[in-house]
Amino acid sequence: MDAPNTLEIISLLLEVAHVSLIILVVSAVLGLLLGSLLTMINVKDIPVLKQFTVVISSFTRSVPIIIQLFLVYYALPPILANFGIDASNLSATVAAILALTLYHGGYLTEVLRAAYKAVDKGQHEAADSFGYTPTKKFFRIILPQVVPVALPGWGNALIHLIHDTSLVFALGVADIMGRAELIAAASFGMNQVTVFITVAIIYIIFTFLSDGMVRLFEKKTRKYKLDSGLNARGM
Amino acid sequence: MLNFEILVENFFGILNVVPQTVALAVTIFILSILVGTVMALIQEYNVPVIKQIVMLFKLFMRGTPLIVFIFIMYYSLPGIVSFFTNLLNLDYNPHNMSPVVILIVAVSLTVSSFQAETIRASFLSVSYGQIEAARSLGYTPFQAFLRIITPQALVEALPEFGNAFLVVMKAISLGFMITVVDIFAEARLIAASNSYYVEAFIVAALMYWGIAYIVVTLTNKYESSLARRT
Repeated sequence: MDAPNTLEIISLLLEVAHVSLIILVVSAVLGLLLGSLLTMINVKDIPVLKQFTVVISSFTRSVPIIIQLFLVYYALPPILANFGIDASNLSATVAAILALTLYHGGYLTEVLRAAYKAVDKGQHEAADSFGYTPTKKFFRIILPQVVPVALPGWGNALIHLIHDTSLVFALGVADIMGRAELIAAASFGMNQVTVFITVAIIYIIFTFLSDGMVRLFEKKTRKYKLDSGLNARGM
Repeated sequence: MLNFEILVENFFGILNVVPQTVALAVTIFILSILVGTVMALIQEYNVPVIKQIVMLFKLFMRGTPLIVFIFIMYYSLPGIVSFFTNLLNLDYNPHNMSPVVILIVAVSLTVSSFQAETIRASFLSVSYGQIEAARSLGYTPFQAFLRIITPQALVEALPEFGNAFLVVMKAISLGFMITVVDIFAEARLIAASNSYYVEAFIVAALMYWGIAYIVVTLTNKYESSLARRT
């Protein structure tokens, strides 16, 4: 393969962009679910499990994501083998999604917990005094107020996740970065800078789409943002 | 299951590179504070043209993953440096530039674009009365900045700096891509030599966790001592 020109580089990279995008979207959705679950355990103060959530969130925030990726990839099959599950052919893509989900969930726990705590106590009391069931209270009163507070933090968490999906090629996933490495290695020191600047631009587009989406949600949920909790204390 | 002999052996093996990893992190951390301060000042004082460049650079950094930026620097920095050395007729061959230098430049620039925000906020938190008081006592603007504003801004920014240091520590773990040896790179080398992958990565993860714990504890200690003083 001789050195491809800029247009060829762009098309070569876009060929595998869907791989990065799938990993990103699946991890973002699963991570949000995991983060919500961990937050629920945390605020409901379930013993033992709560300590577990604190450890997970501390681990995911203290250890470099690259180690988390490798740990899941190498440690999960032997752990599952103990339970009689054969995961010896765990694919790099699945391992990457699992690691990123755990990381994103652990990161989001902090964001969601702070947002939940920001809802004024009076809101809970008012809902209780109206005789709302706990489920109804959560979905009609609490959640709409948690969302606008949590959105900026969630936006930042998404940016981190987008950046960290660029590392899955270290496990051997054939994503944008994996393809970029191949092109850079095959073109004998030609146009490597072009290749990685193109990769940067693709990721910048991902980032701005994500930012735009979060801003749209912020606009839609602004009316639920009460001047209570944080704002009332003059923060 | 886990092989404990290997765990202990790896622990001491990886412990050897902890000092150099921390030293590298401290270097990058100090550089990022300096560059971040310069960026913050450029934005505060509205320096034309350069301000636009800084803003553009920040946008670029927000969207670009660190590993991509490290590769861009790895392939372009020697060329950029040789352009300037040729301009100045210096006798320096940048093509054998150490990857450590490239990593320092790439991570410092990345972290400084985030640091600039923290530093700007902490400078803005110093009340204007302080500046007026200094000026009325006959301090020159530069003296006022150095002796009155900076110390107060530092106090404001320090808790955030603990966090930033950990970000730098974690960022260096990508150095293995350009052959820089830190905690993680050493763990990979050990794993490749004895094939105990899980043990090596567990030890590396615990190392980072321990360092994070120490930094967070120190930061909290400092914060509570500040709370007592004010």
